[in-house]
Amino acid sequence: MPTALLVTSVVNTIQIGSLYALMALGITLTFSVIRLPNFAHAEYVTVGAFAALIVSLSGEVNPIVIMAAAFVVGALVALVSHLVVFKPLEGRNVSLYTLILSSFAVGLILRYILFMIADSFNLFDTRIRIPLQIIYREGALILTNVFAWVAPTSIALVLLLTLLLNGTPLGREMRALANNISLARVIGIPVERVKNYTWILVGGLAGVAGALWGLQTAVSPLMGWVAILSVFAAAILGGLSSFSGTILGAYVVAFSENTVMLFLNFNFGVDLAYKPAIPFFIIIVVLLIRPQGFTELFNRSRDLQR
Amino acid sequence: MIKVDSLTAGYGKLEILQELSLAFAEGQFSALLGPNGSGKSTLMKAIMGINTIFGGSIQLDGRELVGLRTEDISKLGIAYVPQRENIFTEMTVLENLQLGLRALPREQRQDALEELLKLFPILGRRESQKAGLLSGGEHQMLAIAIAWLSRPSIMLLDEPSAGLAPAIAGDVFRVLQDLRRQGITLVVVEQNARRVLQYCDYAFVLREGRLAFEGSAEDCLNDEETIKGYLGVHEGAVSTSP
Repeated sequence: MPTALLVTSVVNTIQIGSLYALMALGITLTFSVIRLPNFAHAEYVTVGAFAALIVSLSGEVNPIVIMAAAFVVGALVALVSHLVVFKPLEGRNVSLYTLILSSFAVGLILRYILFMIADSFNLFDTRIRIPLQIIYREGALILTNVFAWVAPTSIALVLLLTLLLNGTPLGREMRALANNISLARVIGIPVERVKNYTWILVGGLAGVAGALWGLQTAVSPLMGWVAILSVFAAAILGGLSSFSGTILGAYVVAFSENTVMLFLNFNFGVDLAYKPAIPFFIIIVVLLIRPQGFTELFNRSRDLQR
Repeated sequence: MIKVDSLTAGYGKLEILQELSLAFAEGQFSALLGPNGSGKSTLMKAIMGINTIFGGSIQLDGRELVGLRTEDISKLGIAYVPQRENIFTEMTVLENLQLGLRALPREQRQDALEELLKLFPILGRRESQKAGLLSGGEHQMLAIAIAWLSRPSIMLLDEPSAGLAPAIAGDVFRVLQDLRRQGITLVVVEQNARRVLQYCDYAFVLREGRLAFEGSAEDCLNDEETIKGYLGVHEGAVSTSP
């Protein structure tokens, strides 16, 4: 495999992996604190991307404003889906399966609302509009300002989230809920309020991930859904409970989809069309061989655990 | 003081407590005794609003607790130490203590933490350790410490000495006596009646969800009928000294 191709694929791995990490951490957080494997997470990403797209089309807009809009809209949609669907269902003590199915339903409803919006305003296959600049060029490797936005922003948000969880009273209370929710109630932690903050955080970060995703590819009502399998593969690699494991998982999935896929294509003629099969393959192998994922690797650190 | 009046409570549709009435007097160290399934833990959970209440009332200094959420009951100054899962095992000892401190105003937290480390010196040496790795005695001390940090006026403890070696169980009860000297009302569920009766002042014996006996610890110890009939402890069976 030529070096230029390898370098480009590694750059892609970093960019996509950072985005996967941002999305997968939301899934891990919802699973640990709220105890819900939330498939509607995909649509929080898409909603954020559309919010960003619409704001960007209104004129010359600073990317920070675009991302702030994506955060607010993503957070709002996540909070509303919690208050209107998940919280009332939890109150009726329904089974986990019902909750998972309801998360699929919420996702479908959001997805088709987005289809209607995209249809009415002719937003299909549009990119979030920011001026494209080439910031680095060396042979075949071209780095644009999109890379300069996507990778550092995702990594910075992942770091901020880790700091929030480990270093602030709210983060401590979120981890307390994840660890032992009945004791959290007994010692007077306002459980419902902490859950609301968790949803705001999860939805907001998914929204920003959508905005960043929409900087590099066209925005479509299916984009979150297409990414969600890779993102779940990353979260499952992290055992759905370990933060560091999820971040590592995100880069492993991105590496397999980019560098490994390209390697297989170049050396063994494997068609690139098989790329979407990689997350399935990873999920099945992990669940068969190592269902706990990378959790134990990080057991000594202060991770989110179920 | 907590006053329980004609309380019927249980889990789901199952009624365990049957129209139970009793009162925990202020500043008293009471033991809640009785065979398995008699409703001791059910009473504690009912006070905390954790299980189902079918009827009756529970009042704290005249204020009705039935219908309040658990987190709001804890804000009224009642701390509860469950029998199991009573610490945050995946967090450090210090983080557990910080969670206990959250109910206090910011300016009082440092003093409370320093006072705590005098009461439980062992926890100071384990601050950065993961709480799930503590020994049985340290684990119980941490659970009591978390509850104490919110500066409660009443503490409910469900079998704080379960599974501990006799000497360590003695340490736990001595700490509880210290807490009582601070004026905290204590209610302790305990399987080992003879042991707890050496430390507490008052005892309630439950049987099949009803009150079978109440009186001073001394009366309870001297009442062979109660000991044999209701507690299921036969003479000589328990010889643990404090």
